[in-house]
Amino acid sequence: MNYQWHFEVISDYYPVFIDGTWVTLQLTAFSFSIGIVLGFVLALGRLSKKRLVQIPATVYVEAFRATPALVQLVWIYYALPIITGIRLSSFSAIGLGLGLHTAAYFGEIFRGGIQSIERGQVDAAKSVGMVYRQTMWRIILPQAVRRMIPPFMNETANLIKLTTLGSVLAVYELLHASNDLITNTYRPLEIYTVTAIIFALIIYPLIAISRMIEKRWAKGR
Amino acid sequence: MNESVGSKLESAGVATQELPMFRIRDLRKRFGSLEVLKGIDLDVRRGEVLVVIGPSGSGKSTLLRCLNFLEEYDEGEVLFDGELVGYRRTAKGRRERDSERNIAKMRAHMGMVFQHFHLWPHKTVIDNVVEGLVVVKKVERKVALEIGATLLSRVGLGEKAHVYPGTLSGGQMQRAAIARALAMKPKAMLFDEPTSSLDPELVGEVLEVISSLARKDERGRHGTTMIVVTHEMGFAREVADVVVMMDQGVVIEAGPPDQVLRSPLHARTKAFISKVLH
Repeated sequence: MNYQWHFEVISDYYPVFIDGTWVTLQLTAFSFSIGIVLGFVLALGRLSKKRLVQIPATVYVEAFRATPALVQLVWIYYALPIITGIRLSSFSAIGLGLGLHTAAYFGEIFRGGIQSIERGQVDAAKSVGMVYRQTMWRIILPQAVRRMIPPFMNETANLIKLTTLGSVLAVYELLHASNDLITNTYRPLEIYTVTAIIFALIIYPLIAISRMIEKRWAKGR
Repeated sequence: MNESVGSKLESAGVATQELPMFRIRDLRKRFGSLEVLKGIDLDVRRGEVLVVIGPSGSGKSTLLRCLNFLEEYDEGEVLFDGELVGYRRTAKGRRERDSERNIAKMRAHMGMVFQHFHLWPHKTVIDNVVEGLVVVKKVERKVALEIGATLLSRVGLGEKAHVYPGTLSGGQMQRAAIARALAMKPKAMLFDEPTSSLDPELVGEVLEVISSLARKDERGRHGTTMIVVTHEMGFAREVADVVVMMDQGVVIEAGPPDQVLRSPLHARTKAFISKVLH
């Protein structure tokens, strides 16, 4: 292997990575917040007996799962302003787009978790006089959350990786920052290596935490 | 449900014997095209223990679940302590589903015990027992815990208050579930095959607890009004005031245990009893 590694380019330009990482984290936080709230609403919608609620929630989830994230993002960035007249910054467009996208997946995880709780648990709650809201918060969710954690962490890791799609729409997140730096330094191998490592450093702890929680709960409280 | 007619009469010193705890009239329930209850008529008086027997699929459990509206019945009516269960009359004389709040209130007055216990696994035994008190009745937690502890020792689980249900035997779980239902001070208790999923050696301890609820207290007040779906014929004979035999969605005979269990009028009852006993 004759390649001469020049990792000094990293130390020379390290603020670029810090800025890029910061934007990636902001983007993640932004879309995660949308995803978790909307996802919960979608889950309750899909579980509803009212067709007027259930059908739109289902259509939403299926539409977002059946189309590529990149297409959704580009559509929101270019088509949404034309239809609604609302102009979004590229950061907001990506954040919103990824939030809407992730909501569909979070929604399915929440729905699956809630549905996995056997009906008898609900019957018992109703039989002591609890209403739906009390049953949901005190009986179903505390149990369902345990089962949701692994797929939820997985989906969160996916979301972090999906933020790299922002590079297509000129959001200065980590990948875009790296690409820019490569154009200036011609050091793609070093820069992509470091970019990959940074993503691993962000994502791996989530996987580790998920595993830890699972183990702890598996021990049977 | 407002302050019930029954307790109003009671506090006014009027004898309430005439007003049954449950009055069930022409109760019908369909699951799709399958008619599971085909017109049930039953009265359960205050303090009475009604035991429902019958082959599986006869509609016993559905009947019980219609009484507290876990299943929405289609036709007929259930009056609980004088109040229509699950529906309210509209101005036009039709009826519509009652509000969630009213249905929940009605259910809080009826304890239910399930075949598979359905304790909440993420709460300790005592938290299972006090949950309804704290969340539904808004009893102060400290007071609720005292009530819970008393009830748990009454069902012989005083030592198990702070463990999780997963560590209990089936019999202990069912006794905890009974304590949970009793904590609400229900006007009536519904038992849906309470011993059917228990190992044979654990059946006795649960039946003993249920029997103790049926007994009159020292002052001669009647015991808890109960409807028990069970295959335990010995229990039915000892504790029941009335035994009801159901088959294919109808009551085929009802009467005192001695009559229904020893000299049944109906051939299907005879066949069923001999099948259960042998």
